[in-house]
Amino acid sequence: MAMHEKITQILFSVIDELNQLRPPEEHLQKDLETPLTGDFGRLDSAGLINLIVVTEQQTAEELGIPILLTDDRTMSQVNQVFRTLGTLADYIHLLLKEKHDG
Amino acid sequence: MMDKQQYTCVLVSDFNLQNFAGYLANDPEFPAIKAVTAPLGQPVSTLLHKDLPCWQNTPDVAVIWTRPQSVISDFNALLRYEQVTLQQVLQQVDEYSALLVNMSEGVRYAFVPFWVLPSYRSVFGVLDMKTEIGLTNTVMRMNLRLAENLEEASNIYVLNTHKWIERAGIHAFSPKLWYLGKIVFGNEVFKEAAQDVKAALRGMLGYARKLIIVDLDDTLWGGIVGDVGWENLVLGGHHHLGEAYVDFQQALKSMKNRGILLAIVSKNEQQVALEAIRKHPEMVLKLDDFAGWRINWQDKVQNILDLMTELNLGPQSAVFIDDNPGERARVKESLPEVFVPDWPRDPLLYPATLLSLRCFEMPSLSREDLDRATMYFTENKRQELKKTVRSLEEWLTRLAIRVQVEELHPANLQRATQLLNKTNQMNLSTRRMSEAELMAWAEQKHHRLWTLRVSDKFGDAGLTGILSLEIQDRSAQIVDFILSCRVLGRKIEETMLFTATHYARALGVEEVYARYIPTSKNKPCFDFFKSLAPRFQQQGDCFIRDGKEPFPVPEHIELVP
Repeated sequence: MAMHEKITQILFSVIDELNQLRPPEEHLQKDLETPLTGDFGRLDSAGLINLIVVTEQQTAEELGIPILLTDDRTMSQVNQVFRTLGTLADYIHLLLKEKHDG
Repeated sequence: MMDKQQYTCVLVSDFNLQNFAGYLANDPEFPAIKAVTAPLGQPVSTLLHKDLPCWQNTPDVAVIWTRPQSVISDFNALLRYEQVTLQQVLQQVDEYSALLVNMSEGVRYAFVPFWVLPSYRSVFGVLDMKTEIGLTNTVMRMNLRLAENLEEASNIYVLNTHKWIERAGIHAFSPKLWYLGKIVFGNEVFKEAAQDVKAALRGMLGYARKLIIVDLDDTLWGGIVGDVGWENLVLGGHHHLGEAYVDFQQALKSMKNRGILLAIVSKNEQQVALEAIRKHPEMVLKLDDFAGWRINWQDKVQNILDLMTELNLGPQSAVFIDDNPGERARVKESLPEVFVPDWPRDPLLYPATLLSLRCFEMPSLSREDLDRATMYFTENKRQELKKTVRSLEEWLTRLAIRVQVEELHPANLQRATQLLNKTNQMNLSTRRMSEAELMAWAEQKHHRLWTLRVSDKFGDAGLTGILSLEIQDRSAQIVDFILSCRVLGRKIEETMLFTATHYARALGVEEVYARYIPTSKNKPCFDFFKSLAPRFQQQGDCFIRDGKEPFPVPEHIELVP
């Protein structure tokens, strides 16, 4: 499985976790186009915190590589990184590639 | 059917419980909960001010979940390793406990998860359990003191936070969640806590399971007894599987000793299976541990239904345990109210799986609960007698039934509340109340509430009836008319009516009436009152009788003081 696909699967699993905290009518779709933050975003601040923490945990557990989504670099571009599920997947892919390339 | 009501749960904490609220509100399991979060970070102030919006309309449940350093200031000082005595800390625990007891008067039930510290707090290692030094030692003493103090309030329950932390594993505490959102615990802890709170509430609402129905082959023992013979079953001995089956039986026996009935439904030759139970030296469970059995080659669904009828229990009371996924699926589909837990393939996991089920929660344990299995045993003797007599009247006479009618008092309050909250069939108004609410209602000037204890020559059925009256201007309303299904049809119902009308007549009221409030389960109560015509006249949902005419006490009933 390609890395981007693995990341997508991890994020879908994160969405499953987050949806347990939300009423059915507010469930997030497992779709890379799903908006997370910004004007059309579905997450409030607590939802974003949960997304960050659960994503970090599951990435470390599934891929064995820890990533950091609360550092200055991420926070300075929070609206871009967390705009949609797809932009988050791209960002995680970038972080993992940087780690791999040293 | 489970009721559809939404129960209000107030969450009080010094940290962010939004995730906990999310799990409570969105878990699809019964009962539905509406979570109301009290002002964040002000637990003591919230407990003190009963006029806050969150306390209005008597919430069903409150969960007060705090960190010890936020409500016990001397413990906070200890965290900084300042000089504070244990006595000072416990004094503050007493003061905090008093706040909780006071708060509990405004809710039906309150849950207090006990205090925990993250493991990284034990910076002094081996000194952590030393009295007056170790923080863990102090927290344990604080929790014990808290639990002892809260025992005076019958509607407060201290919950075991450690269980949730153990199940959550390394993500139980999350410094990241704390710094980002003032959330102390990882979500797995909240998930476990929400499930426990819901299970506890189910028990309090009368939905605790009362019966475990087990299969035999590869469930109670390893192997097929009809094929290998009882001598070659895997049970006990120096064998890991054999030990696991023995432990599973021990776990079942412990459930039985706590008041849960056991029964067998198995596809087997009855004679062969019973011989195994009687003769195998490692059998922990004996035949008289089982309230009943159906061992034959018939469909298990039908066998379960027959067994439930024999035991006078509804399917919502039962748990069905079987190693065969096909049998489980069939029962689950045909009898959706029977709880059929997913069962592991590995027998080594049987004991832990049984003991982890969240369906036996009870708000209290009465003598009647502990004696339940014995009561079913004696019930079998009554039914055997019934087969030998010519009429119902003769059977009732030979039973020599004695009924003791008592006012509600502290000694019978616990059992009366339990009966009130779990009786569904012979229940006129199906009121659900906490001990404090029931006692407060009974103590009102125009209210009277009696309990009935029933015994006969075979044994004591215990406190099995509740009757209450509300006296209005010229009439007396029977508010509660509750009788356990274990004594139905023995003219105890008529004895209750005698008690009600006898008392009402002494007050000179003109009429006695019962207003039937229908539920999905209490039609037997309606049918009973309807059968009383013309002694009680039906008018819509009310059954009315002239207040000057006491209802006669049944001939074969002896009323004892």
